[in-house]
Amino acid sequence: MNRSYYWLILALSIPAFLWLVPTIWMVSLSFQPNDVLARTTSTTALGLIPIPFTPDNYIALFRFGQVPMWFLNSLIVSAGMTLAVLAVSTTAGYALARLDFPFKGPIIVLCLMGLMVPEQAVFIPLYTMFADWGWHNSHHALILPRVAVPIGVFLMMQFFKAIPKDIEEAARIDGVGWLQIFWHVMLPLARPAMMTLAILTFLYAWNDYLWPLVSAQQREFFTITLGLASIQSNFAQAEGLGRVMASGVIASLPVVVLFLVFQRYVVRAMTAGGTKG
Amino acid sequence: MPEHQGSRRALSQRQAALILLLPFMAVYGLFLVYPFFKGVWISLHDWNLMAVAFNPDAKTYVGLRNYERVMWGRDITWGALANPGFQIVGFLGMVASYLLYRSGRAGRVTALAMGIAALLLFVLPGFHPDAGGRWFDRRFWPTVGNTILFVGLAVPGVTVTAMLLAAALDGETRAKAVLRTLFFLSQVLSVTVVTLIWQIMFSPRQGLIANLTELFGGSPVVWLTAEGFAMAAIVIATIWWSLGIAMILFLAGLQDISKDLYEAGALDNATGAKAFWHITLPNLKRTITVVVVLQIILHFQVFGQSHLMTNGGPNDTTQVLVRYIYQTAFRDSELGRASAMAVFLFVIMGAFSILQFVLGRETEE
Repeated sequence: MNRSYYWLILALSIPAFLWLVPTIWMVSLSFQPNDVLARTTSTTALGLIPIPFTPDNYIALFRFGQVPMWFLNSLIVSAGMTLAVLAVSTTAGYALARLDFPFKGPIIVLCLMGLMVPEQAVFIPLYTMFADWGWHNSHHALILPRVAVPIGVFLMMQFFKAIPKDIEEAARIDGVGWLQIFWHVMLPLARPAMMTLAILTFLYAWNDYLWPLVSAQQREFFTITLGLASIQSNFAQAEGLGRVMASGVIASLPVVVLFLVFQRYVVRAMTAGGTKG
Repeated sequence: MPEHQGSRRALSQRQAALILLLPFMAVYGLFLVYPFFKGVWISLHDWNLMAVAFNPDAKTYVGLRNYERVMWGRDITWGALANPGFQIVGFLGMVASYLLYRSGRAGRVTALAMGIAALLLFVLPGFHPDAGGRWFDRRFWPTVGNTILFVGLAVPGVTVTAMLLAAALDGETRAKAVLRTLFFLSQVLSVTVVTLIWQIMFSPRQGLIANLTELFGGSPVVWLTAEGFAMAAIVIATIWWSLGIAMILFLAGLQDISKDLYEAGALDNATGAKAFWHITLPNLKRTITVVVVLQIILHFQVFGQSHLMTNGGPNDTTQVLVRYIYQTAFRDSELGRASAMAVFLFVIMGAFSILQFVLGRETEE
């Protein structure tokens, strides 16, 4: 730790601050009165400090409008998708990693090929299928397509493969069945991997845009991400810039809190999701 | 603790595997494998969204006609300089990948992949309609070109910035950890929040950038509706958004470089920028390839930035492939043609995914 180290930190603080400016600006604008913003956005320090200050945008957001409903939809969809992905990925991941059965190799290859199919290559047929079944504008329509993406199965499979065999064998000698081993021995061991997968899925569900845009056409079934897109095109006229920015802050709050609290897991989840899927 | 009930009704390993695999395989088959083949099937039909919704028999089998209508035209010929911008880049790319391979700076797989990509970039843009001919779909290839341009700007932008930041922020001190957090933060935001922020950042009347230019006496640029600036604007927003993962991958790559190398380098007076150029960069080759391939896959699927910030405009200059697929399907109701484009997208993405898989395998070994 010498002089050049402190110079480096100081020199990097400037780009780091600039990197943060757009986010600070969003938060700052969300606390300013709409009639002021209609005239100018650079009141104090280019608008980066919220003076004049008002919490009205947030109060209005929760009193009128659909933001609370969209927020709730996002919570339901993200939580539902996370639980469903955890359920199918841990079970299938364990079977593929530790059990022996016919056609295991081909099944793994079949699942691997699913990683190559981008969402955009299947969203049209999925739309027609769900339309035929009358499934659009529902929570399960927003959840199910992502549960089929095999990334979680691979994360869990890799994790279970790394667990030493003797734990399992000791239980087998005691006459414990495979399902009990999975439930009582393997799942408790898999908590860190499940946490990573849960965060990866939750972030994806919360931020997904294309599929909700196609599937949810009634505003009552918008997620917050989709709802935010629907109000940002006419931000200046209709609702007031401050209120739209407040919606943006509300939409970001859960993922930012998740990131700050579970930073290690989030970083691991996003790199795992990025490199493998 | 589990009770001893194995003797009562023990499931065989096969039965247990079946029970555990069934939920996932059912969902996978129904919502991924089946839709994939159905997508290919739709692409072989003249399939109007509205007409088929009311009458399931309103579709007609047309074979590969949709692909022809999207990608081909009347009197198409090929010329080596029909589209000089892309073709010169492609030609230089082919030369570069050969030279990199010969000099040992790039591995066989990397050089081959680069060479094939460059060859396609040289060959494909060379096709153009003759004097009397025309494309059946005037917008498809320009849209693909825009997507490639977007990828070509965003990927190097993200990669270089992320690599420099990672090299500077590698280390176990608290200050560096805080700085890493700040740079990663924007990565967790959704695309609609990112476009919301940047749409207003770039706004000529209310934007922070316009306010800054006015402060220094300049006249604000109409970023999102000016040709030439619109693409730059969505690339800037994208770099701001997606720097984090690349930075983390580079930080992981830096962990694998032995500290001895730097100590040996320090003896030869190689520190700072010199050490970065002669020690860090050559040892990060593998990571750079992984990051680049990953970013290509990610950014080729760009949709939100173009859809929300510029509406594909001005004059179609930021229209990208996924947005064109979306519009063809859900605005024009032409599911057949849209599906043909989706299959085209799948082929490109699939090629890069295989490359990513092969590279991943090589790293593990």
